[in-house]
Amino acid sequence: MPRKAVITGIGHTAFGRLEGRSVRDLEIEAIRLAVADAGFERADIDGLITDPGPAQPVIDGIEPHYLALGRQLGIDPDFVGTEVLGGASSVSSVQRAVMAIEAGLCSVCLCVYGDTALSASGSFSYGRGAEAAFGFFGATGLHALAAQRHMARYGTRPEHLAEVAMAARAHAMQTPHAQLKRPLDLDGYLASRMLAEPLRRADCCLISDGAAAVVVCAADRLADLATPGINVLAMGQAHSLSTIANADHFDQTPAARCGPATLARVGVTAADVDVALLYDCFTIVVLMQLEAYGFCRLGESGPFVTGGRIAPGGELALNPTGGLMAEGYGGGMLHVIEAVRQLRGTAGARQVAGARLALVSGHGLGMNTHASLVLGG
Amino acid sequence: MNDTARPDTKILADPFPDARRQGRLLAAECRACGHLFLPFGPVCPRCWSIDIGQRQMSGAGEVATFTIYRQSYHPDFPAPYVLALIALAEGPRLISNVIGCAPEQVHIGMAVSVRFVPRGDQVLPLFVPVTSPARNPEIQGDTP
Repeated sequence: MPRKAVITGIGHTAFGRLEGRSVRDLEIEAIRLAVADAGFERADIDGLITDPGPAQPVIDGIEPHYLALGRQLGIDPDFVGTEVLGGASSVSSVQRAVMAIEAGLCSVCLCVYGDTALSASGSFSYGRGAEAAFGFFGATGLHALAAQRHMARYGTRPEHLAEVAMAARAHAMQTPHAQLKRPLDLDGYLASRMLAEPLRRADCCLISDGAAAVVVCAADRLADLATPGINVLAMGQAHSLSTIANADHFDQTPAARCGPATLARVGVTAADVDVALLYDCFTIVVLMQLEAYGFCRLGESGPFVTGGRIAPGGELALNPTGGLMAEGYGGGMLHVIEAVRQLRGTAGARQVAGARLALVSGHGLGMNTHASLVLGG
Repeated sequence: MNDTARPDTKILADPFPDARRQGRLLAAECRACGHLFLPFGPVCPRCWSIDIGQRQMSGAGEVATFTIYRQSYHPDFPAPYVLALIALAEGPRLISNVIGCAPEQVHIGMAVSVRFVPRGDQVLPLFVPVTSPARNPEIQGDTP
């Protein structure tokens, strides 16, 4: 009989500007916390999947990231990997751990995100391949192209983008470890510096130093069999590998395929989701995912979020920590961790009463990658 | 990440720089299925034929989407400037700039045509509004 994998441990460092901390130091702190949370010890770990943040090398010379980290941990695991799906990598790292455990390749697998992107020198305004010849720089410009089309096609307005940013800030006020605890109102949003129209600074996620880790294990290996762990009810990925010149590239992300298919695998719809942890690198990405997953119809995400529907106490519990926009840039691992907290009932002031079904998404690279998890308590 | 990793602003691996210097905009054409596509590649993304030729485009197109960069990320690109996805009349799309009008005049669906502009040691296909003098009398030149 195939083994079943569950999520059993979570841990993360502080997020923000952490001067003097190395990325290895942060990753190891998160790992120690997650392993302790699961009730395991170093010797129990037989799998390691890493998600190096945007300022970390996936491979340094010939040394892949899992090896650079693994050397420090002094472990000889049975399964390793480093995810390269950009912002979808935290979700896909958990997926890879589940698949490895259920296929019998390992039993107790660590999934680790870490970065020192904020204190590292340099910037994220990298050129976008050959198109840098036309001044195409950074992720903001790319997502601005999608936002501009969404506005032209559906009448989405700056006030709709503002709802997403304002909700994230309001949520972060209830998150003790949040990096950005400063409320934002509409005037503040509209006064935020325009970067690439229609996206302002306030439409962008944070850049952070920090690390976050999750332990996935075979259900028969739980340290405390009385504590059942969090079930992974469904997983999915969808990607768009064609160029941005493709006709519909800016009209929908691969979430439009990934979302409905993943929810259908466990026989639920968006209406059944108690808490949604959607990857929120830019406000427009949240709006597009609300449509893709079926929380609202195509083109209606702007009106959907209006009136505080995704703000604290609103009808839809979306990113209760403040997410990438205000909690901190944790790749997507902080989204997985909050889903686990909500399903355990340990989210404190942010707890969604009776949360039983959580959705976690990841979105990455040039709107090329998408991954989803449906988790249940 | 560090400051020495300044973006390369050359068009990478463009097989036909001479065509651009001659003022011709080329797209890849699949000789098996007729699909026209950009950027150039060794295989047709629609049918996987490797029998790929080239076809000259008219240079007419429209703005499929765009952004006005208000923040400058590179000394060669002072803000504001318009980055746009251009849908050519024949079908292929490409990222380029719209010049020759105020950035605020650019809109999705705007008719544009190609204008080859030297930039450094390259010649780039940029796009200018197709103006109707009666409708847009203020647009005369092709300078940004």
